[in-house]
Amino acid sequence: MAAYKRQFYPGSTTPAKNRRRYMDPKVKLKKLRDVSMDDVVRIMGHRNPGEDYKSIHPPIEEGKEPDCPIRKLVTPIEGAKHGDRIRYIQFTDSVYFAPISPYQRAWMYLSRYRGIDTGTLSGRQIIEVRERDLEVLAKEYIDNETFDPALTGIRGATVHGHACRLDEHGLMFDAWQRYVWDDEKKEVVYVKDQVAIPLDRRISVGKPAAMSDLKKRTTIFRADGVDMRDDKEVTMYGLRIHKLRTLGGYQPWKVKGE
Amino acid sequence: MTSKSAPAADYAGVPLPEVQILTNRLLSAETTERVLNALDVIPNIRQINMTGESLPKTINSGPGKGLPNNHSERKVIHVGGQEVELRYLVGGFYIELDVEDEETMDKRLEEIKEACDATIEHGYTLQVGRYSKYKPTLHDYRSE
Repeated sequence: MAAYKRQFYPGSTTPAKNRRRYMDPKVKLKKLRDVSMDDVVRIMGHRNPGEDYKSIHPPIEEGKEPDCPIRKLVTPIEGAKHGDRIRYIQFTDSVYFAPISPYQRAWMYLSRYRGIDTGTLSGRQIIEVRERDLEVLAKEYIDNETFDPALTGIRGATVHGHACRLDEHGLMFDAWQRYVWDDEKKEVVYVKDQVAIPLDRRISVGKPAAMSDLKKRTTIFRADGVDMRDDKEVTMYGLRIHKLRTLGGYQPWKVKGE
Repeated sequence: MTSKSAPAADYAGVPLPEVQILTNRLLSAETTERVLNALDVIPNIRQINMTGESLPKTINSGPGKGLPNNHSERKVIHVGGQEVELRYLVGGFYIELDVEDEETMDKRLEEIKEACDATIEHGYTLQVGRYSKYKPTLHDYRSE
């Protein structure tokens, strides 16, 4: 029997291909900017740069772990080894062709990392990890192609804005104005951390991408971009899941042979 | 700005035409000021209501609760010599026209379009209809 080859997402349109790329852990995502680690730590606001990590239990090596076969089997991630607290970062993705949307973020995170907990909501995606692993992950996802300065927001609370019209500079609406438009440099600059506590320095996250570029990078199907109905395979996949779920709910014997 | 039930001006009692302008982008305070000042000179406008996304004065949740929000677009603008306190990032205007015949209405509509074309950079959609109530309802008696 041939070895099972993992599949990610059906379809032949650009959003479908992008979904596959983001989910495939073998694909290295393109790095588009370099926000320094200290600035990432400042934007998240869980600790000050240079400060020690607070721990909730002694390092695993020191503690007396119960004799458990599963514990022996699983290699702990760095943060778990050190007993770090669990902290979070939350991204908001605009419906106006943001590079990725929350649901695909969940697929992508779960496909690429272990030791994480992620939660999906309509416009935002939280990811919870041990603190030192979170910082590495957060930097990666602020620097790489899944982030756009104008259409992706780093917001811990009051995330409202993903489905609002953009402002005159093309930035996603934020009631707390965590980031502003720098008209001289034509860049987006963070002035507050993810829960809107003012930062003591302005942190630039770079220039927003052009809409034409975003339309090629997005995972979002939209009637004014690529309509999901134009991708037959994606449509049939959705319909099949819908059919199986419906049948499974009230006439499970009919699922046989499906 | 938009109030909970009663409009800024008294109810006309009759369904006067209302021009709905929804902008393609949310407008900055500066642009809102320019649009309103351009509309202000047009005769027969009975009242203008605006809608948009609310901008809180203080951070209303999370660890920063109570801190001032300091949103650059939440400020006082000057319209026709009057001060208007903006509490929204404006994305819509409802202009009630006090007109009695279609000819005047069309004329005013043209003037409104001209004013908007000159001030709203990213475009808008315009419709004429009636989008808010024009006479008191049970709710108004209840909230007295």
